Amino acid sequence: MNRYFFRVGPSYVFSLVVILLAGIPALAQDPRTIVEESQKRSASSSQRYEGTLRVVDAKSKVTEKRWQFDRIGSHGDSKSVLRFQAPAEVKGVALLVVNHPDRSSDQWMWTPAIARERRIAMQDRSTRFFGTDFSFEDLEERDTDQFDFRLLGEEAIDGAACWKIESRPKKTKISQYTHSHVWIRKDNHVVAQIENYKKTALVRKAKYTDIRQVQNLWTAQTIEMTDVSRNSRTVLRIEKLQYNLPMKDEDFTLQAIKR
Amino acid sequence: MISLSLALLLLSQNFTHRGFVESRATLYPETAVNDSSHAVGETQLRYEGFYKPRFDFQIAGAIDLRTDTHGQTERNWRFDWKDRERQRPLVSLRRLSTRYHHGGFTLETGKQFVRWGRTDIVNPTDRFAPRDYMTVVDNDFLGIDAVRGTYERGSNTVDVVWSPRLTPSRVPLINQRWFVAPGPIPALTIERNIPEGSQSGIRWSHAGLVEFAASYYSGFSHVPSYEPIPGRPAVREFYPEQRMIGGDIAVPLRWLSIKTEAGYFMSGDSRSNEHVLYVVQLERQSGEWFFVGGYGGDVVTRWGTQSGDFNPDRGLTRTILARAGYTIDPSRSIAFETAVRDNGHGAWAKSEYSQAFGDHWRLTAGFSLIQGKSSDFLGQYRRNSHGLIAVKYSF
Repeated sequence: MNRYFFRVGPSYVFSLVVILLAGIPALAQDPRTIVEESQKRSASSSQRYEGTLRVVDAKSKVTEKRWQFDRIGSHGDSKSVLRFQAPAEVKGVALLVVNHPDRSSDQWMWTPAIARERRIAMQDRSTRFFGTDFSFEDLEERDTDQFDFRLLGEEAIDGAACWKIESRPKKTKISQYTHSHVWIRKDNHVVAQIENYKKTALVRKAKYTDIRQVQNLWTAQTIEMTDVSRNSRTVLRIEKLQYNLPMKDEDFTLQAIKR
Repeated sequence: MISLSLALLLLSQNFTHRGFVESRATLYPETAVNDSSHAVGETQLRYEGFYKPRFDFQIAGAIDLRTDTHGQTERNWRFDWKDRERQRPLVSLRRLSTRYHHGGFTLETGKQFVRWGRTDIVNPTDRFAPRDYMTVVDNDFLGIDAVRGTYERGSNTVDVVWSPRLTPSRVPLINQRWFVAPGPIPALTIERNIPEGSQSGIRWSHAGLVEFAASYYSGFSHVPSYEPIPGRPAVREFYPEQRMIGGDIAVPLRWLSIKTEAGYFMSGDSRSNEHVLYVVQLERQSGEWFFVGGYGGDVVTRWGTQSGDFNPDRGLTRTILARAGYTIDPSRSIAFETAVRDNGHGAWAKSEYSQAFGDHWRLTAGFSLIQGKSSDFLGQYRRNSHGLIAVKYSF
């Protein structure tokens, strides 16, 4: 059984997709089963894409960034490397995320200009990631066992019928969010939208659009993340997406991100 | 034919490059005893290329081209590999190394950068990292010739480094303000003795919830010591033999991270001090703020016979250190940095504003204030408070 539930972030795109248009099993009315089924259908041994990010701040000023994203391993027990390709002054900066099934991920940032890696401490994970509207926490995968789920009902997102599910971290779980609302499409099990809350305040909202099939996996090609308090948003465009590429574990280590 | 090969290499998908051109003006309100200038202009081009003909093999190279208005850079077109001259070379090879990896093993050979340690402001265990201290409070690292083998297994890494020769740190020029003279400089000759022996070191590090490392170094100090030469108006500049046992640890707590790093420095050279250098640092990132605060300490266990040394690492000990940064928006940020002696005899504070324009340009403006007594490492630079403006084009 697939046990992992993903937060918002690039890896999220790959984890919450669906491959079959066939009917949804009746037992899918259980929220945990819906989430697990969504992830099960998006499973791949590895993935790679080039992401283009447009950060639009409250004054509508636009900045662009580009990164390459590689992932290996199964959901929740995977490793990923995200390496900036643009703008020029951050070219080569890399983030290694090592996800664990039983605890929060380990994250390290490599900065070539000073030839040093720095661990991203747990208490710093709510910080914005490199000027985007994603936080460091949003880039990690989460174990479904560390969350409680509740089916809130059904709502349509962009005309598609969705289950609306509340996910709430268990007491042992460290998270900046007290709870999230997740909309999963009924027709293909792809996540359509996520809202992250701190108590009653909406903090971040992610919208998944341009959903297409890539190597038989339904994948959102665009994620728009909105930081509600800052009134800024980041639009991530997924390009050159490939699944199940031959990758090696040795390319997902602290030494490897320095190469 | 060569240009064709180069063009083909640049077009290759296995080739990546980056670099920048930066021009900066440093403005000093006060003159110094040995330097009457108020402004220094510098321009630097850095180009780095990486060629990966195989998935397990990479060639990395970088060159620096520099010039300035103040004679800090040589004027002749000499290509420098060794980084041993007092002036900055006009053209220097910053890096040229090959890197091969197989499984968890990585071997890098050639001119490269080796950074050890975990703290941010002072790194006692960072022994293979000489710097260009021409402007003491705004320095840059120099590459070293070395063979480096790294074996990584799980969360443990063993790093073994051997360098055939010492690359000394570049110290301030005698006729410039960052070389502090108490009065008119007498007609002294400085005899420079750079040792020819090799350096080696080993570091074991563990990357888990708590990160730690232990390291050992045997070689030479990369910063100079000085002693008078009897009977002659001359001073000997030497780089004493040095061994270091050290370690570092980072512990994440609920609200902040604690990082500490310490090194015990020993020497068979009786002219050199033996001492313990340590740093304790607290770190926190909150919203758009980044804070680092700490204390650097130094305990001498044996006094050497040397008359003096130039050692910024030790110069920043018995000091409270702090750094803060705030990201205003994706293109603008401000930063503050300060070091204050625990006895109040020296203080340095720096503030900086930086803004990016488009994808390539960045403008930085800042001011450094230095105060204190002439007997203090920081205080001796009290006439060197300065403003800075820099324009950088990255590609």
